[in-house]
Amino acid sequence: MTASLVPARRRSAGQLLLLAPTLVVGALMLAPLFYLVLRALEADAATVTSLLLRPRTFELLVNTAALAAGVLVLATLIALPLAWLTTRTDLPGRRILNVLAVLPLAVPGYVMAYALIGLSGNYGFMNAVFGVTLPRPQGWLGATLALSLYTYPYLYLNLRAALSGLDQTLEESARALGCGPREVFTRVTLPHLMPAMMAGWLVIGLYTIGDFGAVALMRYEVFSYALYLAYSSAFDRLYAAWIALILVVIALAVVWWEARLREDIRLARTGSGSGVRPRLTALPPLACAAAYGFSGTVVLAALGLPVAVLSFWLLREPVWPVLPDLLRSFSQSLSAAAPAALLAVLLALPVAVLAVRFPSPISNFVNRLAFIGYAVPALAFALAFVFFALEAAPFLYQTQALLVLVYALAFLALALGPIRSALYQARPNLEDSARSLGYGPVGTFIHVVLPCIRRGVTAGLVLVFVVAMKELPIAFLLSPAGFRPLAIQLFSRTSEGMLIAAAPYAAAIIAFSGLTVAAVLRHEGRLE
Amino acid sequence: MTDRVPAVEIPILVRRRPPVLLAVEGLTKRFFSGEAAAVEDVSFTVAEGELVSLLGPSGCGKTTTLRLVGGFETPDTGRISLRGRDITHLPPEKRGIGFVFQDYALFPQLTVLENVKFGLRNMPRAEADKRAREMLGLVNLADLASRRPHELSGGQQQRVALARTLAVAPPLVLLDEPFSNLDAAMRVETRQEVRAMLKQAGSSAILVTHDQEEALALSDRIAVMEGGRIRQIGTPAQIYREPVSEFVASFIGRSNILPAQATGGSAETIFGNLALAREAAGDVAVAVRPEQITLQPDPAGSGTVVGREFRGHDQLYWVRAGGRTVLVIAGPFPIIETGTRVRLEVCDCVVPLSG
Amino acid sequence: MNRSRCCLIAAAVLAAVPATAQNLTLYSGRGETLVSPIVAAFTEETGIEVDVRYAGTSELAVLLQEEGEASPADLFWSQDPGALGAVADLLAELPAEITDLVPSALRDDEGRWIATSGRQRVLVVSTERVEEEEIPESILDLTGEEYRGRVGWAPTNGSFQLHVTAMREALGEEETREWLEAMVANEAVVFSNNAAIVQGIADGEADFGLVNNYYLPRFLASDPEFPVRIAHFADGDVGNLLSVAAIGITASSDQQEEAAAFVEFLLSPQAQQYFASQVKEYPVTSSVVLDSDQPTLDMLETSAPDIDLNSLSDLEGTLELLREAGLL
Repeated sequence: MTASLVPARRRSAGQLLLLAPTLVVGALMLAPLFYLVLRALEADAATVTSLLLRPRTFELLVNTAALAAGVLVLATLIALPLAWLTTRTDLPGRRILNVLAVLPLAVPGYVMAYALIGLSGNYGFMNAVFGVTLPRPQGWLGATLALSLYTYPYLYLNLRAALSGLDQTLEESARALGCGPREVFTRVTLPHLMPAMMAGWLVIGLYTIGDFGAVALMRYEVFSYALYLAYSSAFDRLYAAWIALILVVIALAVVWWEARLREDIRLARTGSGSGVRPRLTALPPLACAAAYGFSGTVVLAALGLPVAVLSFWLLREPVWPVLPDLLRSFSQSLSAAAPAALLAVLLALPVAVLAVRFPSPISNFVNRLAFIGYAVPALAFALAFVFFALEAAPFLYQTQALLVLVYALAFLALALGPIRSALYQARPNLEDSARSLGYGPVGTFIHVVLPCIRRGVTAGLVLVFVVAMKELPIAFLLSPAGFRPLAIQLFSRTSEGMLIAAAPYAAAIIAFSGLTVAAVLRHEGRLE
Repeated sequence: MTDRVPAVEIPILVRRRPPVLLAVEGLTKRFFSGEAAAVEDVSFTVAEGELVSLLGPSGCGKTTTLRLVGGFETPDTGRISLRGRDITHLPPEKRGIGFVFQDYALFPQLTVLENVKFGLRNMPRAEADKRAREMLGLVNLADLASRRPHELSGGQQQRVALARTLAVAPPLVLLDEPFSNLDAAMRVETRQEVRAMLKQAGSSAILVTHDQEEALALSDRIAVMEGGRIRQIGTPAQIYREPVSEFVASFIGRSNILPAQATGGSAETIFGNLALAREAAGDVAVAVRPEQITLQPDPAGSGTVVGREFRGHDQLYWVRAGGRTVLVIAGPFPIIETGTRVRLEVCDCVVPLSG
Repeated sequence: MNRSRCCLIAAAVLAAVPATAQNLTLYSGRGETLVSPIVAAFTEETGIEVDVRYAGTSELAVLLQEEGEASPADLFWSQDPGALGAVADLLAELPAEITDLVPSALRDDEGRWIATSGRQRVLVVSTERVEEEEIPESILDLTGEEYRGRVGWAPTNGSFQLHVTAMREALGEEETREWLEAMVANEAVVFSNNAAIVQGIADGEADFGLVNNYYLPRFLASDPEFPVRIAHFADGDVGNLLSVAAIGITASSDQQEEAAAFVEFLLSPQAQQYFASQVKEYPVTSSVVLDSDQPTLDMLETSAPDIDLNSLSDLEGTLELLREAGLL
């Protein structure tokens, strides 16, 4: 569409300029997976079958499925009513509720797990404050709780957007055809929410499959935990490689399956009339009370709990002795996250420009590839890079440069999203007029395109930066010696049962992650 | 639909008036206290089998009136009854009134057939299927039954929406700007089909539109609304020929509004003394339809042609006469060039206006 | 917005400046909380910075094998001598003035690793839920029905894995395998490490636990009422394995002298005192003032089984056994 405005000769020159870095990005995404397969195939068939065809593998599969199912169900049970309350009712205070509902994004799964664990036990919050020793939450229930309370906002944001975009006449039509409110919800509203629901489920599902911190702390044996064990306690590279491959296959299968399903339910709006703004349901007092009870419970569990437990642990011992360590960890986190954000944006720019301005099979393909880093579970992705570095790039092995590169690739999709939508909004004829005024392709990009997509670039930069700041699994596998970012410090202390020592790190992560939420709230519309 | 012959206008006064289906009395709706009412003291009736249009400019309250009848809004005061039963406070699904939305509101996740079956949920499955296919046959879409709404043209979507509403055989169908999403050519074609289908199904209907041509062509009666109130209600011919106010006269068709001194059955105007459609006295405004005026080139005439637009089947002339510009519609021939002096004559009687 | 971006870029550029190459690199299978104070003390005394890579002992051992000559590590400090035995080919011979500091039983026959502190495997039990008569004579008794679901262990932990290696040495491959399988069948509770076991017993997740001796004192130090106590198996039982944490210098290190200085520092009175009084381990040199209730290594020899630490290098075999038992 837009590309046709640019003369063919110039287009091919610009395309070539962009194609090289784009292909590099594609290769960087694929090469490590290639080495992962290579390493996995080193084993002879008998070893592989004896490793994989044992009851434990099946158990891991069942556990992984059970965890994903549990998290999806619980997250939906939390997110759907919350989204409905904040978009479709006149509940007083629904704006504040909206902010509170998204804030748990600032509490990563492993911090949530830390909080739940800190609640229980002999020294736990509940015993110290109320004299009740709760059993340590663990296994399926503990992992499901920790992950649902952290991930439900992804679904909430999607459902919220869909609910407020739902054409009210659809629901009114159904009522005119004789359906009561409940029937309207199940027959019209719910089907309409399905694409948003599935987009949210995809994000949460991928996160759950790939999560390692929460399941490790909750000692729930899913594939990613088994990968962690295979790597950390036995450094069993072969088994780790195979589990990583299984994880990659599961993740890609989930993505493929979701895409297929989405194909089936097309919800193109029919007609071009102005959709009526959804009307707010007036809640009777009793329903209002129930709504407050429900949302209060969610907010208390997802936000109040970690904050309370954390404050409790923080107050047990003075923080100042660990302050130098904390600062050092913080600056180490910073020293990986900041260059990673910069690199991610630099890599995303050519990929995005090529995809938006010069759509072609190749640019589309690389754009899909860019999501590999996002879809493939982090631990598996990082392991692939360990093999890649050992075999093909020993100079990168155990360096901060590799960690930064892997962060940039893993979070490339986060940078790509806002930059791409900014490019779609920027008018291509501005570029054409710059060219006609004598600017070359590079000059046009710097003077015209870049200022136009500044917001998108900043959004991508901030998102990648903040997510990388609290990243755990990749840091776990790829941190060079002496590199102890916040997440690692928190994780190693919590897994040693040293909850007091872990508290300052958890607090630092939560405080900093507040920025994530700010970024997410600001770019609510742009996040998928 | 194949039946594209415009329905013959039968003056409703000649027929025995059928029983009242819907009665709306003194309906008032104010969305924000302190602001002007969206609908104020609106009363009208719809007879069995009758098609009534609510016509007016945007913001006149016509859609709100329709939504009040449909049950999607609750009136502050007033009463709505269907076949004598008070339905003012019933939820929409309990009223048995069909509603066709402006954007058709077809359920995108369902096929055409499933959409039509949507309201037939209390019927046995086979029967519902049969009924839905019948309805699709009625709107000539039987072969598109398994398509999805987004695969249909606007006109087809429109017919599916109508079939879906008519499938449950509601005594009354409400249509909100049903043709506004269609292009001009489709609009003319579709509206006669819709009228024929409604008549065939025996449903009464209230149609909301801002398009006077549409209202005139489709309706048994028209209620012209302005500022939340009904200004005039009557058959299309009545509304056109005898508008009661300047607003109605200029909103329905085009009118030359002229000052006049009325003395009973006639009035003195710039065109001389003209017969009045109803008696009036003193300073009044009269409405003269452009087609009521004839032009004759005449060097001694009182008017001068200042503008002309050739429209094929007729011509529009703007004629300067008596200190004002008058619009005249004349046949395609002869062509009178601008600047020509003309003589103007008014045939038939003119309408004195109030307000 | 522009300014914040500039700040970010500046931060990125500053952050990308690499750490200096002249730091010692230590692979530590020992936990950070125990290691970082001693590393800090070393840096303060010598001015030599140490970058520590913390991970599981086994992980680091296999990582060293994987990396070979290219390893960035100068030192490998292990939870147990077994892991060091497994990578002995990659280690340099220590100078005699260092090896002479400890008795010959506490170092490699060929001088490639040396003990830094002693520890014993012990049974910890709940003071609330375990009666004296319930304490078993032998670690092998824990497979009994009365212990079903009550015993906590950490199969992924290096010290435990060494213990299994020792059991294979003392009891043979088959009996060890049977014991592991019987423990799994007896629903032993899996923890991720020793500290978690001790905490778990206090929290009621298990009643018995197989851990190293020095974990419980840490809890007791901050809370004398902590509801867990140490019990021992009968004298000579393989459950009372006496072991050491040990360290070696990689042959590939280009900072042999600095690395040796670190090892020497760990054997200094200052460090040994730290292990004894802070970590509650057993000192391997004689220059330490002990608390009255703290046994010396010599005193423990009666309770411990007679197993040569030099014979415990078959980590790979132990991992294979644990895998077969479904524990890894």
